[in-house]
This record gives sequence, structure tokens and C-alpha cells, in this order.
Amino acid sequence: MIATKKREFKDLMENIKDYKSFFLVGCSECASLCGTGGEPELAELKETLEKEGKTVTGTFRAKTGCQVLGTKVELKPFKEQLDKTDVVIVMSCGAGTQAAVEIFPDKPVYQSNDTMFLANMTRYQMFDERCSLCGECILDETGGICPVTACPKGLLNGPCGGTNDGNCEVSPDIKCCWVRIYERLNKINRLDDMKKTREAKDWSKSQKPRALVARTKEEKKK
Amino acid sequence: MSFRDILNSGKFAVTAEIGPPKGTDIKEMLHHMEILRGKIDAANITDNQSAVMRISSIAVCKLALENGLEPILQMTCRDRNRIGLQADLLGAYVLGIRNVLCMTGDHVSAGDHKQAKPVYDVESVQLLKIVDGMNNGKDMAGNDLKGATDYFQGAVVTPESNPIEPQLMKFEKKVKAGAKFFQTQAIYDIEKFKTFMAHARQSNVKIMAGIVVLKSAGMANFMNNFVPGIKVPQNLIDELKAAGKEKALDTGLNIAARHIKQLKDEKICDGVHIMAIGMEDKVPTIMERAGLL
Ligand code: SF4
Ligand code: SF4
Repeated sequence: MIATKKREFKDLMENIKDYKSFFLVGCSECASLCGTGGEPELAELKETLEKEGKTVTGTFRAKTGCQVLGTKVELKPFKEQLDKTDVVIVMSCGAGTQAAVEIFPDKPVYQSNDTMFLANMTRYQMFDERCSLCGECILDETGGICPVTACPKGLLNGPCGGTNDGNCEVSPDIKCCWVRIYERLNKINRLDDMKKTREAKDWSKSQKPRALVARTKEEKKK
Repeated sequence: MSFRDILNSGKFAVTAEIGPPKGTDIKEMLHHMEILRGKIDAANITDNQSAVMRISSIAVCKLALENGLEPILQMTCRDRNRIGLQADLLGAYVLGIRNVLCMTGDHVSAGDHKQAKPVYDVESVQLLKIVDGMNNGKDMAGNDLKGATDYFQGAVVTPESNPIEPQLMKFEKKVKAGAKFFQTQAIYDIEKFKTFMAHARQSNVKIMAGIVVLKSAGMANFMNNFVPGIKVPQNLIDELKAAGKEKALDTGLNIAARHIKQLKDEKICDGVHIMAIGMEDKVPTIMERAGLL
């Protein structure tokens, strides 16, 4: 999922201070799990805005805020409220915000969150970054632990000289990912994988902006 | 004789480190170069050491050449992508720089520009392969170079890292990638170092032991607690303590000299790399006491 963090309210306020009426869009997926765009947060922001003397014409939680067409259809019943709205505030990730920009070409859209990273939820509302979407996965060579992400230097051929009693030079409170990879490969009898020299990564695979068509030709025709 | 020839001839080699200053005032650095000229076999010029921004390593290598010192260009992967690294390798070569030490580099979070975007497009093993390729007339993408380089390329290794196996595997990769010599992280426990050397001797590479002068028992304790891959044994800490405040530095110089002498006399490794960290003027004293001058 995508990890998001609430921005300081005063930063949001600074952006929207000249507007009067607002429509709030949350998201049932990641942003709800992160506590940044679920029902409680929608209600909270509504209350805060009203305290500041603003009008909230409505609140709505999208099923999947980054899904442009679906969200557009879901928003149909809110037409009246939206017509009375100066600004849409999106409480999801940057993708959700930009879905709203597409749905509301004539209205200002602001976001209430900072978008952080692709996250694994390890415990309730605790998030770790495990994959940085590099475009060409090497997990099968590294025992399923991603050094592109877990090593602050993204090293592909083993630990740097800074690992300290198995911990990471950069973040001493976490284990060096290459020590973890070593221990795992050792356990599953795949140490040979660690001895292989890996070539420099092909970063052209992650050249931005990326797009993907996952449909087959037949599906596209429909 | 060049640094390469000295190591290859089997003579015990001595290198020391020179850290470029932050700013354009190079008086003190030139003074250190003068002190070291004619005494050491080559000078490592650090590359934005500890991720703290300083004069570029290549520029200072050129100054070293002009001042009669053979430079070893330290090159980290932190600040440049593969295009920048290769361009700099070519640039350094045409300026007369012949030795390069390939390293990954400390992370920007350790330095004085913590907001910088770290690069690490390639890392030490891959950088060694790049140098090897350029020595064979090819850039990393396989294009022909108009004129190849002829670098003597080295790398670093941390023999006291724990666990050691992943480090040794990386050492092997560096050997395979073309490293001809290694300089190690600071060595204090010679017996333990011999275990590493037994492993390293299986490869046809030169190993220079890292020597960092201990200034006090406090510094030794600090290094044990905060500097990765360094373990100062208790007996050395006791020795520094016993020396008292006034004689601590002198004792530290003695320890360094004693270790160098043992490494040389017992032919444990192929040379030493002295990191005086701001006390470059003490390097000749250490060398004298070790019987090298
Ligand atoms: S290698 Fe790492 S960053 Fe790349 S796709 Fe796989 S898990 Fe993600
Ligand atoms: S200690 Fe390990 S995880 Fe941390 S930067 Fe070095 S290699 Fe990467």
C-alpha cells in the first residue's frame, strides 16, 4: 500500500485561506489504513475547517481514490454539493489527488497528506518500506530481501565497510540488509547467490513517467 | 619507483592520507605535502571524506603531483553517477593520476549536506569493473575509448567486521572485479589480522594494513563504541591509560610504530596505510620509530 502522512494543518490552511467552501475526498484503501483519509479523518478535517469559519459542502470516501473512472462514477450523486464547492481537498496519496484533478478540471484541488512510500504494514499502522518500484526485480537473487530499498546505499554486491556488529551504518537501529540477506541465504542453502557479482542496475527501467497497459489486445478492442 | 612498482616488487610500501581542506586556503595542506614528500610512497587524497564537502579529490591529486607526491585518487560512488565517474576517471588520467581507490563512500547522512540526494548509481565492485574496462579501452557501455587508461586500482576491506563472512565475500568480488591492492580499515589486533591475511593470501593482491594513530584511551574507547569495524584491544587501551594524559599521544605514536615494524618484520602484509587524521606532521615520526626512515 501507499504510506501517507498528514500534513501540518497550518500548511493546508495557508494554501486554502482565500477559499470559502470545501468538498472533502477520502479513500477507503491505503489512506484509511494509514489514518489519513478514512471516516474519522474526514470528520475531523470537516470540524476543523468549520471552526475556522469555512463551509464544508460534503464529505465522501472513494472506494479506491487512485482509480479515476470508478471514483468519477461514485461522485455522481454528489453533483449538487460539488457545484456549491470552491475547492476539493483530497485526503489520500498524490495519485488520489491527481485523480481528482482529472475529475474536476475546473476546480482547485489541494491535498492534505504527504505521500511517503510503497509500504508493508507490519503491525497496526506501522509501516516499512520494502520495495522502491525499481522496475526490474532482483528479489530472486537476494533471498527475497530487497537491497535496492533496505540498504540506504542500494548496494547490490554485499555490505559496505560501515556495517557495525550486523547493524546498518546509516540507521544503527536496524540490521544491515546484507547481513540479513547473508543469514537468510545461509539458512536456505543458497549462499552461492551471494557470491554472484551483480552488474550495475539498469535504471532506464524506472525512467519517469512510467505507464503500463495490462490489457490484452482483445480486451482493448472492447 | 612508482607506487605500483614498489608494491609489485615486493618492497614494503607506505602510504598516508591527505584530506583536502574545505575552502581555498591550501597553505596547511601544501605544508603537509612537503613534510611527506620523499618519505611515503603515495598519498591517498580523500574524496569528500565522511560526506563532508571539500576541495575535489582530483584537483588535490594534481596539486600533489606538482608538489612531488604520487597521489592515490580516492573515488566514491556517492556523488556521481556512472557518466560522472567515468568522465572523472578519464580526466584524472590525463592529468597524470595513475592510482585510484574505488569505494562506495560514506552516506550523505553522515556529512554536512544531509539534504543532498545520494547517488550510488554504481558501487565499489562495479566501479572496479569500470576501471578495469577502461584499462582495456572500453567504457562501461562497451564503447571504444580513444586511448585507454592504465590505472593501478585498489579497494578497501574491513577485516574486523562482524560478521566477517559477508565482508570476505565482497572482498572476493572486488578481487574478481580487478582490484590490485587493498587498504584496510584500522588494524589494532595483529593476531586477528593474521587470520584475515591467511584468507587474503589466496588471492594475488597486495594488502596494506590501515594504521590509525590512537591519541588517547578516550579516543580508543570512542572508536570501539562508534566507529564500525574497529576494535581496539583492551591491552592497548590500558597502555594508553598508564601513559597518562601528557604521554598518551607519544604512546599512541609508539603503538603505531610498533605495529608497523611487526607487520613489516614478520612480512604479514605488503605495506601500511597511515591515517593520521589531522596529524600528518607526525607521520615521519611514526616512520622513524618503525625503522622505515
Ligand atoms: S528489486 Fe526491490 S525495488 Fe526493485 S522491484 Fe524488487 S523489491 Fe522492488
Ligand atoms: S550497513 Fe548494510 S544496509 Fe547499511 S548502508 Fe551499509 S551495506 Fe547498506
